[in-house]
Amino acid sequence: MARYIRVWGAYIWAIRSLALMLCAIHIVAGQPGFAAEPKFPQPSSRVVDEAALLSAPAKERITGWLEAFERASKRQVVVVTVKDLQGYPIEDFGYRLGRAWGIGEKGRNTGAILLVAPKERTVRIEVGYGLEGELTDAISRAIIEQNILPAFKDGNYEQGIVNGTAAILKVLGWKGDTPGVMRDAPQSAQELPPIPLLIFIILFVIFRFGRSGFFGGRHGRGVWGSRSRGGFSGGGGSFGGGGATGRW
Amino acid sequence: MIRTFFPRASQIFLILFFAMGLAACDINAVPRYDEETKAAWSEVLNQYQRRADLVPNLVETVAGFARQEKETLTAVVEARSKATQMQLPPDILNNPEAFRQFQQNQAALGGALARLLVVVEKYPELKSNQNFLSLQSQLEGTENRITVARRDYILSVQKYNTELRTIPGRWVAGVLYPEAEVKQTFDIAEQAKEAPKVKF
Repeated sequence: MARYIRVWGAYIWAIRSLALMLCAIHIVAGQPGFAAEPKFPQPSSRVVDEAALLSAPAKERITGWLEAFERASKRQVVVVTVKDLQGYPIEDFGYRLGRAWGIGEKGRNTGAILLVAPKERTVRIEVGYGLEGELTDAISRAIIEQNILPAFKDGNYEQGIVNGTAAILKVLGWKGDTPGVMRDAPQSAQELPPIPLLIFIILFVIFRFGRSGFFGGRHGRGVWGSRSRGGFSGGGGSFGGGGATGRW
Repeated sequence: MIRTFFPRASQIFLILFFAMGLAACDINAVPRYDEETKAAWSEVLNQYQRRADLVPNLVETVAGFARQEKETLTAVVEARSKATQMQLPPDILNNPEAFRQFQQNQAALGGALARLLVVVEKYPELKSNQNFLSLQSQLEGTENRITVARRDYILSVQKYNTELRTIPGRWVAGVLYPEAEVKQTFDIAEQAKEAPKVKF
């Protein structure tokens, strides 16, 4: 019996040191470094005007549209102007920016970006996977050539961005300055959960958050995916290189 | 009493440490990364297919305006049929020969299409044709999607191969997934190949 214990002891010791070694190596090895990412501006709002192309009223106006549009459709469109593309092609910069910010609803990937790089004189409409069927490459290109580039060629960036954003929203089913009016809202926006489920959710919310307060320590979404109204954050959508590029 | 207790305690320790070791090493990493590479590969195939599907329409439209560019058009058609007719063996991701063949065929189609778009510059009528413009933007978009899909695939294979070849993952794979093999990835040939610049 004593021999039995001794053998087991040695065995345990071997396994233990092996396990520790594995852990140590795992920590040291870590993740290998993958391809470098460009440095993106902070996603502080739906209109990030790093290149300072927009006046304050125009920025406010576009932000209002984009907010209303997102409330009505759960689709996220953002406008980004950058000082420079850090040497990346705009197609490359665009989809990585979209992924880094997670523009669009998670799983549905319903996001789009109007990206303007005045230094490189390029503009791009970057379209998330889920909107590629509506905001197709051909339509994106038409918007760039008809709504954006004419103004850009005259040096009127603000006008081009305003027109381009309006055109993108229109293609995606927005009807104008009145929020909540959609040409054909996606089904998920219309369908409400059935009443028993609603009751269950309400009870769940009361019991789950009753004491600590609903908005307490929790960050991110509420119970059924509604976003916070004032601020802005990406929903976790992804991009695959759809869209079009224009140069002037 | 002590004798009966002792082996049991050691067994518990054994299991505990073994579990800790396994947890630290993430025994599911290999199959998980494997699935990721498969998904990324499907996207690559999907986008290449999309490009191939655009070709007949594009060729027809260009032929309507520039019939004398027969050579370039034929080259595109031939490259397309070569790329689409290739039978992909099920083990293509582990088969360097087949993988290179696939890559070459697709690069040939990409090159033929790039030449076609250069030739087209000589035909202003064609360049203002709505149908052509639409096809051209779709082709550009698809080429871009191919680039993204390829890069995603390259990254996923890098992750998978690294897991398979570095130490904890290598041991885990050796014991649990002996069939796992290092996968093939794209070299940068096609990415580096820019569409030829047009001189005016």
